[in-house]
Amino acid sequence: MRAFGAFLRKESLETVRTWRVWVVGGMLLFFALSGPVLAELTPQILRSVSGTSGMGGLIIEVPDPGWADAYAQWVKNLSQIVTWAIIVMLGGMISSERKKGTATLVLTKPLSRRAFLMAKFVSHSVLIVLATLLGAAVTWLVTLLIFGEAPAGVLAETTAAWLVFAVMLVAVMTLLSALMDSQVSAALLGFGVLAGLGIAGMWEPASRYTPAGLMNAPAALLGGREVATGWPIASAVLVAIVSLAAAAAVFSRKEL
Amino acid sequence: MTASSAVELVSLTKVYGGVTALDAVDLSVPEGSVFGFMGPNGAGKTTTLRILTGLTWPTSGSAYVFGADATSATSTVRARIGFLPDVPGFYDWMTAEEFLRFAGSLFGIDRRTLDERTGALVDMAGLSGVTTRLGGYSRGMKQRLGIAQALVNAPALLLLDEPTSALDPLGRKDVLDMIASLSGRTTVFFSTHILSDVERVCDTVAVLDRGHVVAQAPVGELKARYGAQKIVVEVTQASEQVERLLRRTPSVSAVTRENHTLTLTVNDVDEARIAVPAAIASVGAGIVRMESGEVSLEDIFVELVGSER
Repeated sequence: MRAFGAFLRKESLETVRTWRVWVVGGMLLFFALSGPVLAELTPQILRSVSGTSGMGGLIIEVPDPGWADAYAQWVKNLSQIVTWAIIVMLGGMISSERKKGTATLVLTKPLSRRAFLMAKFVSHSVLIVLATLLGAAVTWLVTLLIFGEAPAGVLAETTAAWLVFAVMLVAVMTLLSALMDSQVSAALLGFGVLAGLGIAGMWEPASRYTPAGLMNAPAALLGGREVATGWPIASAVLVAIVSLAAAAAVFSRKEL
Repeated sequence: MTASSAVELVSLTKVYGGVTALDAVDLSVPEGSVFGFMGPNGAGKTTTLRILTGLTWPTSGSAYVFGADATSATSTVRARIGFLPDVPGFYDWMTAEEFLRFAGSLFGIDRRTLDERTGALVDMAGLSGVTTRLGGYSRGMKQRLGIAQALVNAPALLLLDEPTSALDPLGRKDVLDMIASLSGRTTVFFSTHILSDVERVCDTVAVLDRGHVVAQAPVGELKARYGAQKIVVEVTQASEQVERLLRRTPSVSAVTRENHTLTLTVNDVDEARIAVPAAIASVGAGIVRMESGEVSLEDIFVELVGSER
């Protein structure tokens, strides 16, 4: 347990000392700041080109933007670019330590392979959760400043639904990175998992009972629809636990 | 299992995809010894160390560290081991002091002890005042830090894989002095192909060749064993004739000559002691001196390993 704590401290320090915090934190902060601004400007840009000769005289009717458009930008960025970035970044979570030889040094000390994996999972999850919460807070504030209205409840719900999915994804990537020897292979498999969930989400029962439902939930919640997230959350937690257990089993048999 | 063995290998075999890296290796490393694990590149030295540290597993056979099975070694066993891999990998963003503190914290060493050890080890590694992050270190600096981190827990068993390979002569001397200073207190098991290092600090050696242990003994005993098979004889005259004659003598397997001094490698010492003076006398030459030859570990190594190539 002491070794787990020591390694977790190292991971946390590594997060703030390397590109990790800038990539994840910087990206989320950028989207949080730019989302409401883009939501405000997009209709104005479209109106400015509407009816011009460049558009062949086409008139574009655009409704006035509001807080929902700013939140939609935030949700879209989370479920697309941020999710893809997490997959790419975490592809090398375990394999890079093996490749660099650092795993050899630390795992010949009283640090178990399971503790090594768990510390990686916890530190990356904490980084993503904290950066996302900060991003959500900034989104709320900027939306309020621009549109004068920003209901916190719906933003919290949509962000929380995505966060559960993201933490599950960290667990899945822990497994894939323990399984594969290269970051690229693990990331490609991660995209495969994401695509599989996306396709499954089109089938109503899968959307209702599996983590695929969490991919659709943020947009649905934002649209004001009733979304039952109980089963998707429970199944995501189950997938995360199974992934971590499988990662521990795979990694304990891996030659370093 | 020998009661006083720090490391014991029993029929240890490791096969990688059809290639046998270790073939039924039996080895015993006495506690408190400085044990040189010699062998040419690819002999299986690193594989042995990787099994002992739980980085890989044997195909068959067993490896024990302080009586515990190395393949399922608990944290308690690992807490007694210090390990330097052949190419140590570090976190580029850390400083040497930070890495030593981190390594020590994995052992649960208290802050005060860690403060003292970190300072002493940074000094020992010649890295005092170096504020560069590890990413900017040379191979030699990394090697010295690697040795320092292996000592952070004051280990009872120090496993070193080619510890001097990346060091300059001064760095090598420092490391060898440090290893020698641990003799009797810590068991040091180090692999190398630099024979002069072994000769300088080891009290016991094993020679590994293509996955087999071809010799294991205290250095003195090994030298005496192989030294007895060398005879140096100085003759009064006709050394060329003597050389030709000795080459045809069944108990003599090799002859080298320098002026009137001949160095013989013999396969039957008792028979040679009779045949050699007789051969010299038969050409009318006399013997100025005849004695057992001095052998170096290099001679022994070449004879054990080189003869099979």
